[in-house]
Amino acid sequence: MTDLSSPKAPADHLSAQELADHKARVMNDKKKDLIQKFAALASLLLLIVVFSATSDAFFSVSNGMTIGLQVTSIAYLGIAATCVIITGGIDLSVGSVLALSGVVAALAVKAGVPIPLGMLAGILVGGFCGFLNGVCVTQLKLPPFIATLGMMLVARGVALQITGARAVSGLGEAFGELGNGALFRVVRIGSDGFPDVIFPGIPYPVIIMVVLALGVSIMLSRTTLGRHIYAVGSNTEAARLSGVNVNRVTLFTYVLSGTCAGLTGCVLMSRLVTAQPNEGVMYELDAIASAVIGGTSLIGGVGSISGTVIGAFVIGILRNGLNMNGVSAFTQQIIIGLVILLTVWIDQLRNRR
Amino acid sequence: MQPSLLDGRVPARPLPSSPALLGTEVLRLDQVTKLFPGVRALYQVSFDLKRGEVHAVCGENGAGKSTLMKIVSGQYQPDGGSITYNGKIRRFANAREAERAGIAIIHQELNLIPHLSVAENIFLAREPTRGWFIDRAALRRNAQACLDRLGVDISPDALVKTLSVAQCQMVEIAKALSLNTEILIMDEPTSSLTEAETALLFQVIHDLKRNGVAVVYISHRLDEMAAIVDRVTVLRDGRYVSTQEFAATSVDDIVSRMVGRALDEKFPERTSVPTEETLLTVDNLNRAGVFQNVSFTLKRGEILGFSGLMGAGRTQVARAIFGADPLDSGSIHLGETQLSIKSPRDAIAHGIAYLSEDRKSHGLAVKMSVVQNLTLANMDAVSDRFGFIDFKAEAAAARTYIEMLSIRTPSAHQIAKLLSGGNQQKIVIGKWLFRQSRVLFFDEPTRGIDVGAKFAIYQLLDRLAAQGIGVVLISSELPEILGLTDRVAVFHEGRLQTVLTTRDTNQEEIMHYASGYNRPLAIGVAAQ
Repeated sequence: MTDLSSPKAPADHLSAQELADHKARVMNDKKKDLIQKFAALASLLLLIVVFSATSDAFFSVSNGMTIGLQVTSIAYLGIAATCVIITGGIDLSVGSVLALSGVVAALAVKAGVPIPLGMLAGILVGGFCGFLNGVCVTQLKLPPFIATLGMMLVARGVALQITGARAVSGLGEAFGELGNGALFRVVRIGSDGFPDVIFPGIPYPVIIMVVLALGVSIMLSRTTLGRHIYAVGSNTEAARLSGVNVNRVTLFTYVLSGTCAGLTGCVLMSRLVTAQPNEGVMYELDAIASAVIGGTSLIGGVGSISGTVIGAFVIGILRNGLNMNGVSAFTQQIIIGLVILLTVWIDQLRNRR
Repeated sequence: MQPSLLDGRVPARPLPSSPALLGTEVLRLDQVTKLFPGVRALYQVSFDLKRGEVHAVCGENGAGKSTLMKIVSGQYQPDGGSITYNGKIRRFANAREAERAGIAIIHQELNLIPHLSVAENIFLAREPTRGWFIDRAALRRNAQACLDRLGVDISPDALVKTLSVAQCQMVEIAKALSLNTEILIMDEPTSSLTEAETALLFQVIHDLKRNGVAVVYISHRLDEMAAIVDRVTVLRDGRYVSTQEFAATSVDDIVSRMVGRALDEKFPERTSVPTEETLLTVDNLNRAGVFQNVSFTLKRGEILGFSGLMGAGRTQVARAIFGADPLDSGSIHLGETQLSIKSPRDAIAHGIAYLSEDRKSHGLAVKMSVVQNLTLANMDAVSDRFGFIDFKAEAAAARTYIEMLSIRTPSAHQIAKLLSGGNQQKIVIGKWLFRQSRVLFFDEPTRGIDVGAKFAIYQLLDRLAAQGIGVVLISSELPEILGLTDRVAVFHEGRLQTVLTTRDTNQEEIMHYASGYNRPLAIGVAAQ
């Protein structure tokens, strides 16, 4: 290899006192960084401790399962939203798309399509909506905010139109399996003839969440696609001039977001065994909030799935714990709003340094 | 006393224009030290400034010039030492405080708001008001007065986005003057100016001097300093080296103080000769309104210069060949193969690379790490067929190029944004070396880079050519073109005027063609 270094005298040494000062400063910075990095995780643990103290029913296996289930839908959407936001985009349409996907799945099942195929159809519809979003952003060059705002209205309208704004029910027990079933559920028929739940099992939605989180996390951190997603968000022009297929990468994140919205729709509707065209209103904001609480930057280029999952749990646990303490839904909104402001402010402090 | 130009609406402190004050000390820094995590940016640096002088601060990238200036202008607070301003020891909490006290800084990246008018920019956040409303007439009048004083012909109503870089700079200076600035710091003011614009800037600086303003002048262009600089302070590795009268020293002397060694040659010997094998053939490239009928060839192992004035279309031709901009017509052959280049991806796949002159916005993913930037253009080489990244291979590749190009970074995982300009440029170069490119377009690769790093980049260009790579060097600096290239293509207003053999030409002939003349010069250059 060629040595192209210019001969340069090494910088002379710092005095002992200076060196010590400097070391202390660096240590201090590192500590600060660590503390703030885990601010979200710490606040999550804090919430658990506080709610466990204030409510007897909070820290129990069954409530844990409830929280897990409640968090899943925020997490699915948040995980995909993280990818979109890292590229510098935003997806406001997921709440509507999940409703459309859910009712499409339900209508298909009603029309006699086998349940797995019906759900697949619902998820594909979600993916297609995401694809349209991506096309609007990459080909028509619409700002992501506008493109997905349009889709938000269109998808909701279509969902209401095809159902006549009525809930689709009477879908049969089997339709609820995905949302309500669990793996390793152990039930014994007790002496009194009633079933006794020995182990509630791991709900399918929770399993899907774990798989999705791991999958997307690996994609982001360990594959070229993930690296390209960060590059597009960090500097789109530099990424393009480095040969990154910016349009394809961007399109992918929107398709992923739509597909995850479709999945969320199917899981949610399955849990209720009813498809509501009005389901999922404002879910996009929960998704974005979970990403932001988890440290994803809305400017793009920065974010992680672990952060987003923590963010989803912060929101889910706040809701659940406040419910258990009898806090009204209105007050809950106020508190969650303040939490978002607080965490993002802490994140800003960290970045400003 | 000079008459107040602000018609009394904006409170004006009289300028320190009394001849008695000229040459008296306005600012003194004693033993100033500034530490950053992992770096000692400044160590016990002293610096003084007199009214009515232009004081140049020189040093390589990372020598501490910018840090020193940020301390003077209040953006940083020193960790040790003191600042005496107008006879009092001061400690500015922020840039605003320093600005109020009369210290203004004009950054290399200008800080104007493009969608506002010149007048609105000059008086931003200090708009003259009548009641709750902006007094537009006064705003305009005051702005006009500031511009008149500089003797520049810019309308106060013009939107800043319609101005040239040079005009924007004048607006910044006007803004600084409207603040009754006593100390004006200019960071690389001429780096994107033409010669005529530079001359005008120097005229303005002369006037400022006469009015008792102290100017701190930071530039890599030592050759043009003779025209305006009175004293020069040299920094090296965050330490003070010397302060001298400019007249009592020479450019060579300053350079050797900057690098800590004598620099006998500005350009390395070329170690290779181009082969006869044609690598790239470009035929009749056209892009409406940008360039017309551009044809040239590039040989294996050749360094071909692109010369011309600003706006001659050199960059646009390179970007079009690279697929970054669309082409209307024309053909590009690599060897015998005709290429169809629709995007940078296509060009890169064929081994053509382009290093932008604007590395911050076009070259570097600033929030990503050094290693991630180095491998960005060649992820396939460090990942398996499913797209999973081999982090070991990636780290090894990064180590290779960090060492080869001596990129100064605390670690391969440092965020690119935090490195100096020269090191950022090296990262971009490393990225394309790792991509094993066959044709490299370098667009102003040494702009804003210090002397030592420049030499390293020159050596690198030579090595690349010696390895059989075809290099195109786009440069506005004629000595660079003459010192490095084998042939030089001269552009004028979107046309390739001629291709000259570097050995047989000179600055005058190149400038002749660059200015739009087609006939060869009458003077006997061919005889040389």
